Amino acid sequence: MYHPRDIIEAIAANLRTTRNPFGIPHFMVNRWWRKSGLTTGGDALLFTGLMYQFIPYIETSTAYLAKYEDSPLNAYLRYARYVPGYFSGLGLATITPGREKRKFDRILQDIVKLLKASGVDFGYRPELDRYSGILLYDLGDQEGFVRHARWLADRLRKAGVKKLITVDPHTTYALKELFPEYTGARFEVHPYFELLRLKGGNGRRTVALHDPCFYGRYLGLSDVPARALADLGIDCAPLDRSGAYTHCCGGPAESISPSLAVEVGRRRLDQLEATGAPIVAMCPICLGNLRKLGADVQDLSSVLAETLQ
Amino acid sequence: MTRLSPDFVEEMKRYSHDTALACFNCGTCTAICPLIDEHFPRRMIRYVQIGAKDRILENAPELWKCLHCGLCTQTCPREANPGEIILGLKRMVVAHWRKS
Repeated sequence: MYHPRDIIEAIAANLRTTRNPFGIPHFMVNRWWRKSGLTTGGDALLFTGLMYQFIPYIETSTAYLAKYEDSPLNAYLRYARYVPGYFSGLGLATITPGREKRKFDRILQDIVKLLKASGVDFGYRPELDRYSGILLYDLGDQEGFVRHARWLADRLRKAGVKKLITVDPHTTYALKELFPEYTGARFEVHPYFELLRLKGGNGRRTVALHDPCFYGRYLGLSDVPARALADLGIDCAPLDRSGAYTHCCGGPAESISPSLAVEVGRRRLDQLEATGAPIVAMCPICLGNLRKLGADVQDLSSVLAETLQ
Repeated sequence: MTRLSPDFVEEMKRYSHDTALACFNCGTCTAICPLIDEHFPRRMIRYVQIGAKDRILENAPELWKCLHCGLCTQTCPREANPGEIILGLKRMVVAHWRKS
């Protein structure tokens, strides 16, 4: 286990100086939209919060953290906060494989396909699509979270944004619950699957749908993605731990203790594998952590988009 | 020897909802927690109740094992909101580290 103070201060310093928890310049981390043909108009703004884009970088950095966890070298992490954000961010971006980045970009491209096929009127403005700060909230740096959230809320308000379409549970929770409480900014927030109006599919099949804690418990939204799957002929295998009682994937521990993330994730993976059905996740953190354990896990958007072909 | 701070519950109001005193230490939170760690989070909540701030600071890194998954809050029979108490303790400890 790393000392939480070292991790928190490194992330807080990066977010303060670069608006990115890893220090990666925005134009490098957010490239998925370039060939999507999206316009800036529409009734709602697609807001990814950059979580899917971050996963390849998180995988690279946690692989190093796992290597040195509990070794004498981990004491040097206390100096990470003094390394200029963009310097470490550029380094991380350079050593992260492009194929991994493209894999996660495809998930966002699939979400666009699904929204378009459902006739949703939306646009995208990459300069407004920034990180919500949720990691600092979870780590207990309330001051840092509130400062960043106010900055982002202010940008969105000034741009006249009223309605947001989100793609992951952490950003959804931040915008829906935390922003009104800590910044006073109220937006109409919809996770993308709430807006899907797709019917049909190509024959019935069953999947093991892993409910992330923030959709299943904090936001009580589990029924909605299950319905979107059912509308396309895909059933969800019964799971003892789902909905409000879903089991954590272990991912949130990966920065402080990669070994703990593996231990908790293994328990969840056993439950999902016991169904014998292909595993589907709908949170980038869950997807990344369960895949790290060697599981073949698909994102909800990929499973839904396959039925469009 | 453990020094107790009778005002600690009051101090914690700055960092989280005021629910620690609702807890009757039944241990449901510990039984349901995916960490399967001996007395987590029950012991930390007990420390808040009795004002054992020093004990919390001594064992502070343990707080960050919490995944903030919310299962403890979902199942707490007293609606004491253990998950939010742990989050509040993280905020208190971060503020303490930054001051010291």
